[in-house]
Amino acid sequence: MRSGPTRILLVLLALAALFAIPRLTGNEYLLALGVSFAMFSVLAGGLNLVYGYTGLLSFAQVGFFGIGGYTAALLVTEQGWPLWSAAAAGGALAALVGLVIGYSSLRLSRHAFAIVSLSFALLCMIVARDWVSLTRGAMGIPGLPVPTLALFGREWRLSRPADFYYLLLSFATAAHALMYLVVSSRLGRAMRAIRLNEPLAQSQGIDPLRYKLLALALSALLAGMVGGLFVFYLTIVDPSIFDFYYTETMLIMVILGGPGSFWGVLASSAALAALPDLLRFTTDLRMVLYGAILIAAMLLFPGGVAGWVQRRRLQNWRRPRVNAS
Amino acid sequence: MTALLEVRGLTKHYLGLTAVDRVDFDVEPGAVVGLIGPNGSGKSTIVDCLSGFQPADGGRWRLDGRELTDLPAHRIARAGLTRTFQTVRAYDELTLLDNLRVAAQEEDGVGWLAALLRTGRLRSVEAAAEARSRELLETVGLGEYAQAPAAVLSYGQRKLLAIAAAMMARPRLVLLDEPVAGVNPTMIRRVERVIAQLNAEGATLVIVEHNVDFIMSLCRRVIVLEEGQKIADGPPGLVRSDPRVLAAYLGQRRAAELGHGRA
Amino acid sequence: MDPGFYLQLLLNGIVIGCIYALIAMGLSLIFGVLEIVNFAHGEFYMLGAMLAYFLTMNLRLGYAATVLVVTVSAVCLGYVLYEALLVSVQGGGFERSILLTLGLSMVLQNGAVFLFTTTPRMIQTQQSYANVAVGDLRVSLMRVLALALAILAFAALYLILYRTRMGKAMRGVAQSREAALMVGIDPRAVSRLAVAIGIGLSGLAGAALAPVYAVHPLMGASFVFKAFAIIILGGLGNIAGAAIAALGLGVLESVMGGFLPVVMVDALVFSSMIAMLLVRPQGLFGRGVRV
Repeated sequence: MRSGPTRILLVLLALAALFAIPRLTGNEYLLALGVSFAMFSVLAGGLNLVYGYTGLLSFAQVGFFGIGGYTAALLVTEQGWPLWSAAAAGGALAALVGLVIGYSSLRLSRHAFAIVSLSFALLCMIVARDWVSLTRGAMGIPGLPVPTLALFGREWRLSRPADFYYLLLSFATAAHALMYLVVSSRLGRAMRAIRLNEPLAQSQGIDPLRYKLLALALSALLAGMVGGLFVFYLTIVDPSIFDFYYTETMLIMVILGGPGSFWGVLASSAALAALPDLLRFTTDLRMVLYGAILIAAMLLFPGGVAGWVQRRRLQNWRRPRVNAS
Repeated sequence: MTALLEVRGLTKHYLGLTAVDRVDFDVEPGAVVGLIGPNGSGKSTIVDCLSGFQPADGGRWRLDGRELTDLPAHRIARAGLTRTFQTVRAYDELTLLDNLRVAAQEEDGVGWLAALLRTGRLRSVEAAAEARSRELLETVGLGEYAQAPAAVLSYGQRKLLAIAAAMMARPRLVLLDEPVAGVNPTMIRRVERVIAQLNAEGATLVIVEHNVDFIMSLCRRVIVLEEGQKIADGPPGLVRSDPRVLAAYLGQRRAAELGHGRA
Repeated sequence: MDPGFYLQLLLNGIVIGCIYALIAMGLSLIFGVLEIVNFAHGEFYMLGAMLAYFLTMNLRLGYAATVLVVTVSAVCLGYVLYEALLVSVQGGGFERSILLTLGLSMVLQNGAVFLFTTTPRMIQTQQSYANVAVGDLRVSLMRVLALALAILAFAALYLILYRTRMGKAMRGVAQSREAALMVGIDPRAVSRLAVAIGIGLSGLAGAALAPVYAVHPLMGASFVFKAFAIIILGGLGNIAGAAIAALGLGVLESVMGGFLPVVMVDALVFSSMIAMLLVRPQGLFGRGVRV
C-alpha cells in the first residue's frame, strides 16, 4: 500500500486538478458531472460509514438527504436565512432525526432495522408529497433563489454552474476529511470491530449502540448538508429528492468500492458518477446494469474491489513460510 | 481476604430446564480456578451470565465489591471482567496488533474528541498499548504474526490470540471458555504454559473446560458442576476422588458403556 | 350515507385484501423458511400480470388457461430463482440476500420499463365489463374471479402446509431451523419448495389482478413495500398473521379511500409499521419464526 506522505501528495494533486477544471474548460456538462460526483460521494461515504464500517444496512440515507434539502429550501425562502446556515440547519435536523430513529430501532434485529430505515425513507417521500402545507406537495418548492455566500469578506453570487462546482467540491472535500478523521481513528477501529464481531467487541468494553448512533448521526449530518446545498443547484426541491434511485446508486457505489474501504468507495463514486453519462445509457438500462452488478457482487465478490485487494493480502501471508512456528 | 469475585445464588432457566441452579462460589485474587462438569452441567452458561451475555434469572455477583448483576456486557468488561468465547472470536480482517489494540481502547480513558484530534495524550496511550500488544503477542508466541490479518491463524493460534486480547485491558479477572477444546496436544501444552505465565504475572483466571486432565494439572482449585448445581469445590486431588464427582462422570460413562442414553 | 356504497367499498377492499394476502403470504413463507427478505417479490407479481396481459391480448387465451399458465410459470420461475441465486446467499448474512434481491428487483423492474415503457395497459376482453349482481350491488366479474382464485389459493396453501409432509417440514424449518435439521429435513428441498410456492402465489396474484387494474412495469414496486409492512404487522414469518393483516389493510384502504386521499392511508400504513416495530416487534400475532 502507498505510504502516508505519498498518499497525501496524490490526494492534493487530485484535488488541485479537480479544482482547476472550471478554469481549463467551460464545458458545463463536465461541471455537472463534477457536482454529481461531489454530491454522490458524500452520500456514498456516509452510507459506507454506516454499512461498510459499522455493519448496519440502512436505507435511510436518502431520507436525511431530502430532509436537509427541504429544510434548507424552506429556511432560505421563508425565513431569509443565508445558505450556509440553512444547509447546516438541514444537516442538524437530519442528524437529530437519525438519532431518534437509531435510538429507538437499533435494539431490534438487523432485519427489522433495515426495514425501519426503508419505511422511514418511504415515509419521507409520502410526507413530502402529502403534507402540502409544509412541503408544498408534489410540486415542491420551485424557483429557489440564487444563493449568496459571504466568504473572505466578499459576497459571492452562485449564479454559474462553476460556482456550484466549487461549492459542492469544497463541501465534499471537507466532508471526506471529517469522515477520514473518524474512520482512521480508534472510533473507526471500534466501528469495524462492531461489524466484524459484535459480541467480541462487547466483551472488550465497546458499547455498540454509541458507535452505531455516531455513524448514523454523522452520515445523516453530512447527507443533510449536501442535500441543503444540492437543492439550490437544482433550484428546486420536490418529493423526487427522496427517490429510490439515489439509494440504489449509493448502494452500488459502496458495494463496488468495497464496504469499509474509504478510498474504494471514493473511487467508485467517481467512476459511477462519470461513467453512465459517458456511456450514454438511458436511466433504465443503467439501473439494469447496476442491478446486475449488485447480483454479481453478492454472488461472487461481497467485498467489492477493496475486498479483493484484502484477499490478495491474505494470500501473501498464507504463502509457505520458511520458519513455521 | 475478601474475594475478588463473589457469586451468590446464580440461577438460569432455559426452556423449562434449570441450567444453573443457585450456584455460589468465590474466587480469590491470583487464583486459577477450574470449572468442570459433564455436558449440560451449566459451565458455559455461568460464563455467559457472569459476563453479561445472557440475562441471569436469579442471583448476584460482585467483582472487587462492585455489583455486576444485570449490567450489559460492555459495562462488565469495563469493570474488569473479561472473557473468551467457546466459538473462538477474533477480528479476522484486522491485524493481530489491531486485534489487541481494539481490546484495550475503551479502558484507557481517552475520549472521542481526543481520539479525533490526535492529542498528545492519545498518542502516548496508543504507544503504550502497542508496546503491551507486542509483549502479549510474544507471551503467547504469535509475535511474528503481529502485522498479519487474524484470518491467517490456525484454530489453536486463534485461541491464543483470544487469550491475549482478554488480557489487554489488564482485567481483574478473566473467564476462559474452553481454551483448549479442539486443539492438538502440542498446542494444549502451549496454552497451559501461557496461562501459567499470565497467572505468575498476577492474573486471576477462571477456566471452563471439558478436558479434565488439563484442569487438574493447571488449576489449584477445581469446581465441579452437575446439572446446574455445584457438587464439589476444592484442590484437584480432593475433587478427583470425591464420590459425587466420580458418580457424575462415571455415571455417564457407565451409562454409555451399557448402551443407555443418547449418543 | 348509502349503505350500498360502503358495501361496495368493503367488497372491493376484501378483493384487494385477498390479493395483498397472496403476495404477503408468499413473502412471509420465504422469510420464514429461508430468512431472506425478498426485495424482488413485487416484480414477480408484475411479471405475472404482464404475462397474463400478453397471453390474453396477444394469444387470445381464455381466463382459466391464462391463470394456469401464469401460475405454473411462476412456480417454475421460483425453482429457477432459488437454484440460480438464492441458494448461494442463504445463510450468508442477511445483507447479502437483501442486496441480491434488491439487485434482482432493479434488473426486472428497469428491464421491464426499458422493454415495455411505463404506459399502463388494460386487459380488454368481452368479460372485462361483465358484472355479477350481489343483491342490489354490481360487482365486476373480474373481481369476483380474483376473489375466487385467492380463496382457492389459500385453501391449497393450507392443505400443503398442514396436510403434506413437505408442508409440515416448511413449518418446522420456519419455527426452528436447528430442530428441523436434527430431525433430518432436507433444508434445500424445503427452501426450494418455499420459494417456488411464494413466487407462484405472487404470480397468481398478478394474473388475478391484471384484468382488474392497469398493468405496467412499476406495479410491483408499491406492492412490495406494503407487503413488508403487512408481514411486519402480522408478525415476521407468521403466515396466517400476514393474511389477516393483509385483509385488514385491503379493507382499510378501500373504505378509507372512499373518503380520504389514498396517500394518507399509505402514510398511516408505514407509520403503523414503524410504530409496531418499535413497540411490539413480534407484530400483532407474534412471530412464526423462532426468536
